[in-house]
Amino acid sequence: MSSMTQNRLFREYKTLSENPPDGITAGPVSEDDMFHWEALIQGPEGTPYEGGVFAAELKFPKDYPLSPPTMKFVGGGVWHPNVYPNGTVCISILHPPGDDPNHYEHASERWSPIQSVEKILISVMSMLAEPNDESPANVEAAKMWRERRAEYEKKVREEVRKGLGL
Amino acid sequence: MEPTFDLPDSTDWLDTPLKLLAPLESSLRCQVCKDFFDNPVITSCSHTFCSLCIRRCLSSEGKCPTCRSSDQELKLRRNWAVQELVEAFTNARPSVLDLAKGATKGGSVAAGIEGADTEEPVTKKRKLEDEANGTETKSDEGVRTRSQSRGISRPVQPAAIEIIDDIEDEENIPDDGLVPCPICQRRMKNEAVFRHLDSCTGNQSGSTEPKPAAFGSLSTVPRRPFQDATQKPPERLPVINYSLLKETVLRKKLKDLGIPNWGPRALMQRRHTEWMNLWNANCDSKAPKPKSQLLRELEVWERTQGGSSSTPTDTTSTVMRKDFDSAGWSASYDTDFKQLIANARKKSDAVVRSTIPSASPVAANEPQSSPVVEASEEVTISEVPASSAAPALSPNPPNGVVLASTLMESAPPKWIPGVQHNPEDPDL
Repeated sequence: MSSMTQNRLFREYKTLSENPPDGITAGPVSEDDMFHWEALIQGPEGTPYEGGVFAAELKFPKDYPLSPPTMKFVGGGVWHPNVYPNGTVCISILHPPGDDPNHYEHASERWSPIQSVEKILISVMSMLAEPNDESPANVEAAKMWRERRAEYEKKVREEVRKGLGL
Repeated sequence: MEPTFDLPDSTDWLDTPLKLLAPLESSLRCQVCKDFFDNPVITSCSHTFCSLCIRRCLSSEGKCPTCRSSDQELKLRRNWAVQELVEAFTNARPSVLDLAKGATKGGSVAAGIEGADTEEPVTKKRKLEDEANGTETKSDEGVRTRSQSRGISRPVQPAAIEIIDDIEDEENIPDDGLVPCPICQRRMKNEAVFRHLDSCTGNQSGSTEPKPAAFGSLSTVPRRPFQDATQKPPERLPVINYSLLKETVLRKKLKDLGIPNWGPRALMQRRHTEWMNLWNANCDSKAPKPKSQLLRELEVWERTQGGSSSTPTDTTSTVMRKDFDSAGWSASYDTDFKQLIANARKKSDAVVRSTIPSASPVAANEPQSSPVVEASEEVTISEVPASSAAPALSPNPPNGVVLASTLMESAPPKWIPGVQHNPEDPDL
């Protein structure tokens, strides 16, 4: 199983590096440890996150792909309804089908062994573009997004600029 | 596992003129392990996976990974057509890929004199192949090709593919700069061979079918038990409803199956499930592996996910084992403990003497004195079982005070190494 897990992660790494989707880079921090990855995601165009580059770390369980990895934005987190203040990403594709504490996710959106790092990162990109405020991880951000959109966008743009060191 | 091993995958086609083969290859790969289908089986919802992959999924979720409809492992059926497709494709793959890559080189370097240009890389490859053939055993080109195209050791290796491999010609030997292990024929980088030989079990080719006599003398075949595989077709293991079994019954069951039966109940259940999956997936193979091979695969599981693994969430590794012999431990390290305790006393007494006289110098002295003290204290604590450390070090108050303060600024003390020490960040 472990060799299967490592092979699969290695293959995903190879596919991602040879044929990366737009705006996404990902790979293991060191090739000695395939269970710890780093990813960079570009803020999607036409959103307040545009122009930003967001770094995240992915941690894979030993029984991957039976269980999903966890994903966390590093370096200050991201102001977003579906990202916890500590940076942990909360989207359905990262949740195993067995556990749905919030009862709002369709089973079809959740983790399954046929999902992949690439699909996770693409989902996170679209999550940045279209927050889901039904069950927010960051309640403040969700409230701001719902009620004071202009302020929300301004705050996000400021964070992006700060993140780029401008 | 060779981390440097280059795993073939569908992206290999992308920079060749045969880009369109990438989706073909993807569709011959299992969506769970991303490797070529290995003993493919079809679910009742008509999705195909490796036998072992889908069995693992079903035993953890009970659902098809693709469409999430419920399914049972009893309903899985072998998918021979897919198996034949995979065999045919993996046989053709190396030569087609070589050809495609050669065509790319010839086309891009100089479009004008294609004839000469495409010719050159091919002849070079031939030479390499010839060299390789001259220095290596001649018996098993097929296996070499197979292992190159299939990637590193899979949990389950269908020997079926080897049957086809035997009839293929020498054109298919991959020109990948890799050399095969003389025992198991797995291809790897030249420098990795010696390291690999230390641990090679020869199981890739030796276990599943008898080798030609000439090769047998080189290989580990003689010490391989064949009885299990050749005498009778293995029978499938039934799914157990664990909640109906008492722990002792379960323990006995594992023993009867010939697999390890130590550890807490939850671990035994997981081990049994894994064994059942390995076993039943092996039953789907055209040429089943011997039990000894499956037991080795279970050992790998034990090391990485079972009782011998140390995952941060695994509570069994953070608690002292029940059968830990604390009396024996303290007896065999008695003198060490006493000496370390004496050392620690001496050191902390010295610190007390140097720091107690006035209150303010304590802070000033700390930077110089504490590193030494910290180091010695930490060693002491880490070597002594908690039960004997506490009473031995706490009797006189001044020692206790200094100890506490020095420990506070050092890293949290490690308790008995290997038994309770858990270095992982708990908030994962």
